[in-house]
Amino acid sequence: MSRITSYFKSLLLIEMFKGMGLTLRYMFKPKYTMRFPMEHIPKSNRFRGLHALRRYANGEERCIACKLCEAVCPALAITIDSAPRESDGQRRTTRYDIDLFKCIYCGFCEESCPVDSIVETSIHEYHFEQRGENVVTKQQLLAIGDRYEQDIAADRAQDAAYR
Amino acid sequence: MSAQEIRNYTMNFGPQHPAAHGVLRLVLEMDGETVVKADPHIGLLHRATEKLAESKPFNQSIGYMDRLDYVSMMCNEHGYVRAIENLLGIEAPIRAQYIRTMFDEITRILNHLMWIGSNALDLGAMAVFLYAFREREELMDCYEAVSGARMHATYYRPGGVYRDLPSKMPQYNESRWHKGADLKRLNQWREGSMLDFLDAFTDDFPSKVDEYENLLTNNRIWKQRTVDIGIISPEKAQAWGMTGPMLRGSGIEWDLRKKQPYAAYADMDFDIPVGVHGDCYDRYLVRVEEMRQSNRIIKQCVKWLRENPGPVMLSNFKVSPPSREAMKNDMEALIHHFKLFTEGYGVPAGETYAAVEAPKGEFGVYLISDGANKPFRLKVRAPSFVHLSSMDDIVAGHMLPDVVAMIGTYDVVFGEVDR
Amino acid sequence: MSAQPANNTPPDMVNIEIDGKAMQVPKGSMIIQAADKAGITIPRFCYHPKLAIAANCRQCLVEVEMGGRPIPKPQPACATPVGEGMKVSTRSDKALHWQRDVMEFLLINHPLDCPICDQGGECELQDVALGYGRSVSRYTERKRTVADENLGPLVATEMTRCIQCTRCVRFMGEIAGTYELGGMNRGEGLEIGTYIGKSIDSELGGNIIDVCPVGALTNKPFQFQARAWELIARPSIGYHDALGSNLWLHTRRGEVLRTVPRDNESINECWLSDRDRYSHQGMYTERLHVPMVKRDGTWHEVQWDVALKAAVDALREAGKDIGFLVHPSTSNEEGDLLRRLAKGLGSAHIDHRLRTLDFADAPVARAFGTPVAEMDKVGAALLVGSNLRHELPLLGHRLRQAVRHGAAVHAVGSLKIDQGYALAGETTVAPQHLPSAVLAIAKAASAKSELTPSSALAEALSGVEADAAAEAAFDALSKASQAVVVFGEMAATHPQASWLRAAARYVAEAAQAGFNELPLGANAIGLARGGVLPGEGGLDARAMLAQPRDAYVLYGVDLPYDLADDATAMQALLGANTVVAFSAYAGRSLRDVADVILPLALLPETDATLTNVDGVEQSLAAGATAPGQARAGWKVLRAVGGELGIDGFAFDDFAGLRADLHEAEAPQREGLCPREAAVGGNALTRVATMPIYRSDAVLRRAKALNDHPLTRGAAVRLHADDAARLGLSDGGRARVGDTRVLPVVVDTAVPVGAVWIESAYADTASLPPYGAALTLSKA
Repeated sequence: MSRITSYFKSLLLIEMFKGMGLTLRYMFKPKYTMRFPMEHIPKSNRFRGLHALRRYANGEERCIACKLCEAVCPALAITIDSAPRESDGQRRTTRYDIDLFKCIYCGFCEESCPVDSIVETSIHEYHFEQRGENVVTKQQLLAIGDRYEQDIAADRAQDAAYR
Repeated sequence: MSAQEIRNYTMNFGPQHPAAHGVLRLVLEMDGETVVKADPHIGLLHRATEKLAESKPFNQSIGYMDRLDYVSMMCNEHGYVRAIENLLGIEAPIRAQYIRTMFDEITRILNHLMWIGSNALDLGAMAVFLYAFREREELMDCYEAVSGARMHATYYRPGGVYRDLPSKMPQYNESRWHKGADLKRLNQWREGSMLDFLDAFTDDFPSKVDEYENLLTNNRIWKQRTVDIGIISPEKAQAWGMTGPMLRGSGIEWDLRKKQPYAAYADMDFDIPVGVHGDCYDRYLVRVEEMRQSNRIIKQCVKWLRENPGPVMLSNFKVSPPSREAMKNDMEALIHHFKLFTEGYGVPAGETYAAVEAPKGEFGVYLISDGANKPFRLKVRAPSFVHLSSMDDIVAGHMLPDVVAMIGTYDVVFGEVDR
Repeated sequence: MSAQPANNTPPDMVNIEIDGKAMQVPKGSMIIQAADKAGITIPRFCYHPKLAIAANCRQCLVEVEMGGRPIPKPQPACATPVGEGMKVSTRSDKALHWQRDVMEFLLINHPLDCPICDQGGECELQDVALGYGRSVSRYTERKRTVADENLGPLVATEMTRCIQCTRCVRFMGEIAGTYELGGMNRGEGLEIGTYIGKSIDSELGGNIIDVCPVGALTNKPFQFQARAWELIARPSIGYHDALGSNLWLHTRRGEVLRTVPRDNESINECWLSDRDRYSHQGMYTERLHVPMVKRDGTWHEVQWDVALKAAVDALREAGKDIGFLVHPSTSNEEGDLLRRLAKGLGSAHIDHRLRTLDFADAPVARAFGTPVAEMDKVGAALLVGSNLRHELPLLGHRLRQAVRHGAAVHAVGSLKIDQGYALAGETTVAPQHLPSAVLAIAKAASAKSELTPSSALAEALSGVEADAAAEAAFDALSKASQAVVVFGEMAATHPQASWLRAAARYVAEAAQAGFNELPLGANAIGLARGGVLPGEGGLDARAMLAQPRDAYVLYGVDLPYDLADDATAMQALLGANTVVAFSAYAGRSLRDVADVILPLALLPETDATLTNVDGVEQSLAAGATAPGQARAGWKVLRAVGGELGIDGFAFDDFAGLRADLHEAEAPQREGLCPREAAVGGNALTRVATMPIYRSDAVLRRAKALNDHPLTRGAAVRLHADDAARLGLSDGGRARVGDTRVLPVVVDTAVPVGAVWIESAYADTASLPPYGAALTLSKA
């Protein structure tokens, strides 16, 4: 009996029509895709994207050149030079470069930072046009931090209880 | 009549062939359409991960484990951190064990979705790929929500996991095209925590697996391409050291999650699917069933995790960094933070082998420590590598199109083959 | 195990057991010393093997069982002497508990500074806290803060980080001998400081950075430059004095960022003089990066091939009349190549004794009679014209240790020098009377010993009276079981050094004491052995400048300071047709005289061997990268020699060069210069010394050292009587000779009849040399 039913099923292309029926049904369902770049898929506040250096509310840069991020970076993407700052002799960086081609976005730099200076922001859309632009400098990183400080702070605040 | 010189035709299958996975270069010796010999050439993705690990403190290599089998990221991390935990003689808190179990299974589904999509695509079925990636997207959102990265999570740590599960799932924002009821529909799973999201997902997922099966299981083209293709006998499978679905497809019931339970698997209720014939079709069926079983495990984990809050990381600061608040207010904690992030921790001298049941089979890490803060030697047992080595034995005698089906069900990923 | 038969134990040993490990240790040693020897780690902060035991950090508490009964209280391992049958547990629950509790106390007042502290990553406090401390602090009260000290340009302070181990206090007292640091107040108020807010002026002060277990005292020039883990340590040798201190260069990307001592018990122990520690700053100031050629009076930066061609052409043209002046810190290999070069060009005028004024006895530097390692065991010493602490700082420390153990040190010289300890006797006379003063001791020697002096010396002795001081000095030497005569730089650069040397050596031989003449230059002994000395008919360094040559080769010479009689020297060099200079720096004076300057790598940047005061050859491999196009001297010389087609330049590499080095001890020659009559009238005799941090080209450019109080700047120093006689007052200004005007300092160190003007400052260059009569007047 089962042989007969399977013969007819096979002859009538039942499984083919079932499959095509499935795809046909999806034609009338709402689309799953998004219209990037006009809209985005949800993004976690923990997202690890482009780096930034933050400042305190009074405009003082947070980074104190402790070099923990440089030490913990598995990809050796961070290069820091430090010296006493000329104006007041405080410990500061004179160079803070991140090679974004080397970076593996593991987030260890942010974990290690004792002053919440280096962060991985949720920015994930960025590009380079010239050779060498992959190395972002301290000024660029600070500028990113200045521009997105509100988002950065909000993301961190939301996650504060977990870290 | 003069003698005619006949020579077999040699062709390169990959590394740029659309149906060759990753950077596999398979040198095929052809007798007409029939494969006489298949010679896999590997190494194009070699990054010296094992050697690199010897040059950095233990924790710094976690991120590189993600990049071995880059479709089952957290399982690789799991193998590595378990090896370290073995040598340190520490055990992650129970909640971390459940989180690891849950994410191992999420990873398994991620891997199998990737596999079913690409395998079907290789064999000419386009739609499955689209649907499989839709579900992958949901699970990757879980990856991102918990770790901040959609793939290379760097989430497991010796002594637990980096952070607890978030209490909020990221949501879709309103836009011109999605608003009102439409937006509400998109966000309906995302109103609560990540566990709520996963709960909804696991309720829904079996019906999605039904859809894939609807498209493939009885499909005559699919069956023609896979049934009785690439038969691996149980003896052969064992002789080649196969593990995971490759072994289970040949009818041997072997699963580390059952046989040598780790994390929270001992408390989980699930079954091991096994095949009968050991052909491509059976391996397909095994993997589809594994997705359903993984779904079951996730559901159990969600239930447990909801009921049992607690720490997800050891509070032993000799190994795991203190919380940020403690680090900023407490001298001892700051010193430990500083030393852990610069020097790392020393691991007692010794050697260990820690294996997990990764989606592709047994992913093992053999770790030797000489007491320093870096591994003395790290050896990764990658299932794909073991499986790929049997390629010639299994493929010989098949037709060229069958090679595509074979590579598909072998489920090799070159990140871990080449390492 | 512990039941070893007692009769197997040597009489001065006892049997103890540490952590179950039985051992025999010398009687009277401390538990921590026994444990260290056995490789058992006990945490500690205040204990330092070279310093007295203080037992004030309490970190090394251990559990001790004596005679089968446990001592109920924790015992400090650093201050508990071993006893027969003692059983020590360093890792028992109790001991670990005590150690953890002490650690908690130490951290109570420690600021949360790790991220901004230079010690982070190499901090003993961090390491011990991680290994023996708690994970979390229970202390929530306010931490104390301590006002900072300014210890000068070399040591940065952050006294809040101090844990009062007092290692620095003990170092300054016991090793440096200057007692500049101390503890004030008590209890929680205990602070380490200088009492009166002065800076640390010791020549060994930098070592307190090394002994400080925390970040309270850190390296100031290195401040915030790099983390310990970024640095690559490369073994090297100090090259500012002939001690040849072993050291580590800490480099990053080929640049030396700091220098720390490398333990060598027979040379520098675990210390390093500030001169060797901070000189690296000078390696990166005013360095010459490219070869330079002078054309029509203007300098051009050129490629190496152009510069080499210019140098080779100039040498070829100059013919045989070339004077070679080689700096005495030049390595053995470079020295040998220069010897080969001079020989190949047919010139016998080659010398490295740039600071010597008296060549009557053809003096060459020789290895010490009493090795450095024995210096702290001598029972008596005679210092002849030596400011030992500035000339060889760590030798000064060794001799001071001998004094602490009861040695009697007498000094004779032209300056009253603070040696850091009380001298048993001191004779200070103006330079022209110094030979008589030393001859007086020789006279005492000849009266009390069998040894007959040479005829010339005997003749001179006949007219000398031995005074009580001379008698005492000789008696001390001859009575001590081990004694040494130190012939210092002030004696060796004296215009009548041959007299001083003959007399001092006679005294040493008569008293059976070692004769230690300080070499004038880091490798003077090596260069003397290597034959970088005038050949047959050749002129010595002073003569070839006094009788101007047609052409000169200057090797590593920093003009004008490196030459004893710099006024004469500059005249000769300016008048020469051709001057080819090999130099790491192109100072103004060098640019004035040279025609070609080839940029050299400095010693830390080359493979080289140096011979130290003990005559020990020490090799060093290039640890840093030479900046710009500067190249190792031996490579440059090979190129020059090869281009000239001279024999001995066919080697391929450094090993090939080393394979046939010339070595021969220069013969000792008798000879005495004519005695000069004492100057009269208003004239004073100049004492010229090289200030400790101005003694070579690198040091002169090391910023922090030049900001140090020991770099006092150009000044005329004279006795109060002379000042009054000449109408000069302290803080006023004096005209020296006709043109030069210098500040006046009335200095108790200077005897009547002498004026002390330190050389190697821009304002003191080209003044008449050591021993010359100067007329001073009020300006």
